[in-house]
Amino acid sequence: MTSGDPVLRLCGVEQRFGLRTALSGIDLTVHPGERVALLGASGAGKSTLLSVLGGSLPPTGGTVEILGMPLAGLRAAGLRAAQRRIGTVGQRLDLVEQVRVLHNVNVGRLGRWNTARALTALALSRTDPTVEAALEAVGLGWAVHERTERLSGGERQRVAIARLLVQEPDLVLADEPVSSLDPSRAAEVLDLLRTATPDGTLVVSLHQPDLARRHCTRVVGLRGGQVVLDLPVAEVDDRHLADLYTAA
Amino acid sequence: MSLDTRGERLEGRPGPPRETLGIRASTVTRRRLVGVTLVLAPAIWAFARALGSGTDVVNANGIPVLGRLLAAAGDPAHSVAFLEVVARAAGVTVVYAVLGTAAALVIGALGAVILSDVAWRDEPAPAVRAGRLVLRALLVAARSIHEVIWALLFLSVLGLDPLVAVLAIAVPFGAQTAKVYADILDAAPRQALSAMRARGAHSVPALAYGLLPPTAPLLLSYAFYRFECSLRSAVVLGVVGIGGLGAEIVVSLSSRNWDEVWTLIGAVVLLSAVVDLWSSSVRTDLAVASCSDWSAGSVAATSRTRSVRARWSAGTAVAALVVAWFASGVSWSGLVAPRTRMLTARLIDEMVPPALPSGGWPELGGAVLDTLSMAVLAMVLAVGLSVLLGPAATRVRPVRFLADPPLRWWTPRTAVRPVARVLLLLLRSVPPTVWAAIALLVLFPGILPGAVALGLYTGGILGRLVAEAWENIDLRPRDALRAAGVPAVAASLAAVLPPSSHHLVTYTLYRFEICVRDTAVVGVVGAAGLGSLFAENLDLFRFPVVTTLLLASLAVTVASEVAGRWVRKALTA
Repeated sequence: MTSGDPVLRLCGVEQRFGLRTALSGIDLTVHPGERVALLGASGAGKSTLLSVLGGSLPPTGGTVEILGMPLAGLRAAGLRAAQRRIGTVGQRLDLVEQVRVLHNVNVGRLGRWNTARALTALALSRTDPTVEAALEAVGLGWAVHERTERLSGGERQRVAIARLLVQEPDLVLADEPVSSLDPSRAAEVLDLLRTATPDGTLVVSLHQPDLARRHCTRVVGLRGGQVVLDLPVAEVDDRHLADLYTAA
Repeated sequence: MSLDTRGERLEGRPGPPRETLGIRASTVTRRRLVGVTLVLAPAIWAFARALGSGTDVVNANGIPVLGRLLAAAGDPAHSVAFLEVVARAAGVTVVYAVLGTAAALVIGALGAVILSDVAWRDEPAPAVRAGRLVLRALLVAARSIHEVIWALLFLSVLGLDPLVAVLAIAVPFGAQTAKVYADILDAAPRQALSAMRARGAHSVPALAYGLLPPTAPLLLSYAFYRFECSLRSAVVLGVVGIGGLGAEIVVSLSSRNWDEVWTLIGAVVLLSAVVDLWSSSVRTDLAVASCSDWSAGSVAATSRTRSVRARWSAGTAVAALVVAWFASGVSWSGLVAPRTRMLTARLIDEMVPPALPSGGWPELGGAVLDTLSMAVLAMVLAVGLSVLLGPAATRVRPVRFLADPPLRWWTPRTAVRPVARVLLLLLRSVPPTVWAAIALLVLFPGILPGAVALGLYTGGILGRLVAEAWENIDLRPRDALRAAGVPAVAASLAAVLPPSSHHLVTYTLYRFEICVRDTAVVGVVGAAGLGSLFAENLDLFRFPVVTTLLLASLAVTVASEVAGRWVRKALTA
């Protein structure tokens, strides 16, 4: 993959769960540096699309290419290698409550670490500059040895972002990462997500069109599992948004 | 036990099982009737079988001997030389228990990783699935055979080696631990683990970071519970002559040195009390599953609490392991020695093909029926003891009104509780083999002495389990009734009796399954049943018959587990 090649390319992607079709006919290409906001009503298929993009949900139809690698041709090791380069932040933060913040941040590096190093880090509980820098960046420098279960909801969210920062991904996929945050905190988190990759490539599902306008370069609108809107952010107006959130 | 939440996860919407929706009143009555019949009919049959053969049951000549045994309780042996013997024997017992538990945990951890679904990233290949099925069957077989039987088998290969005791504990307990640990791992929330895998984490680090921390308190708590069980087993194993307190008790009993018997029993009770207290304090501190939960196989209780005491206990356990290792002189090289290999090969060669005992099918069938009736009678006695001592051993929890009356620091129950607890401790600490030896002083060999011995021992365990469960019953419904002016007895009948009897029934059925397995141990010392036949044929080197008896034990244990599950289902309809 060269610098100009797309980081994501979807052709005619379809996702069925039994009789229900969650996604159909999705064609989407994302280039390095693009910040794509996925908008749409609940159940429109945003989370499913992000799962497909992250390689954790093989589509039932169509082709997916992640970071220049076709998903269908990847064996388990190849898929893991690709997934190491994708940073994900979900609605659920997927933190391990019972360990210290340090270890939850280190989880971001598990894809790069061999088994011995990972187990040593867990056993020794020693911090290092990378973890400290990531936690400083999210304003949690003080919490490195804190137990995760003692943190507030907002602090946990920032631990999840710090985990993403140490992963140093080439692409960030975020599923409603700011749904439970106040407006100023939400803006702060989206800024941080931009800085997680070298060129700021980001696909984020949002429920706040204003945030999409301020933090993204492109808006992809989903309705009933289909892409019904794909425009640069500057061209998106209220009519588009009203159409998106109106029942099909 | 419903730990398999796969269906729930796939559906994504937990809800009541379909069969409990819209159940008819007549179905409930019918199922309960069937359940009660299934409990009462075997009890009547077992009594008839034990007493109805027309021969004498009570050995009148033994009554004065029993009197002398009881009289010696007032003056236990306390010479320095004998106390040294006791201390050394106690050391040996603890060493066997520590090493046996450690080896069981290793087997359990490895087995659990293979058996659990969550440890596998993807659906395992067909060959792996077939291998898992074979392993599962092997583990069921391993845990259905009693430690004493394992010890006898290992003895015939390894001779009088400390390794015999360690392996006899490690194999069946390892198999049991593998099952429980696999259930714990599969019941743990797995979102964090899935997310790690989706980020490309390697298998082992993902398990260490995502699965171990949430399950560690439960795994640790179960390890301590296993140690409690191992200690009891280490005493029981004395009967096969591999040392420790159990062996000393057998020697003192057979030479009728009753004062020594009491000192040794005192040492066993003391040791059990210390380990019980330690183990339950760790469990309470971790705020995870109680002893009764483990016994019933529930792993529903989880906690996020970290415990300093648990950490210290784990550290102490590791130190104890190192000390035990060097003190025991156990060497694993015995396992791979050419002589061991040769004897094992010869044993296996002699064990197949299986053959019937000299009395043919009638003798085998009779032994199976004796085993079952012994277990049923033992449970009748155990339930009686639990109903008698359990409530007394339960902590008093006064009714909470809006305006609490001043708490009285002393009530008759406060005085009764420690007595009941000590009695239960005594009943479960004295190995069933010793209870059997005492019962055989006044009862002729047969079903009854075995049932009495097992009943006393199981009563001690069951009483403790139900007392622990009863202490955790939610009393708010009772308090609400009392606050509404309902008299105390009526409030307890309405709000406390139903959950209490539910606990009693559940634990009784679980213990019945274990009791069937435990009949082997009293059989070995001369009561009836498969255990007795086993010991007799092993003594005569009739190995093909031994194989048949092992298979019969396996079948009876599995069948009792299945039957127990049916009765539970019928009673909880």
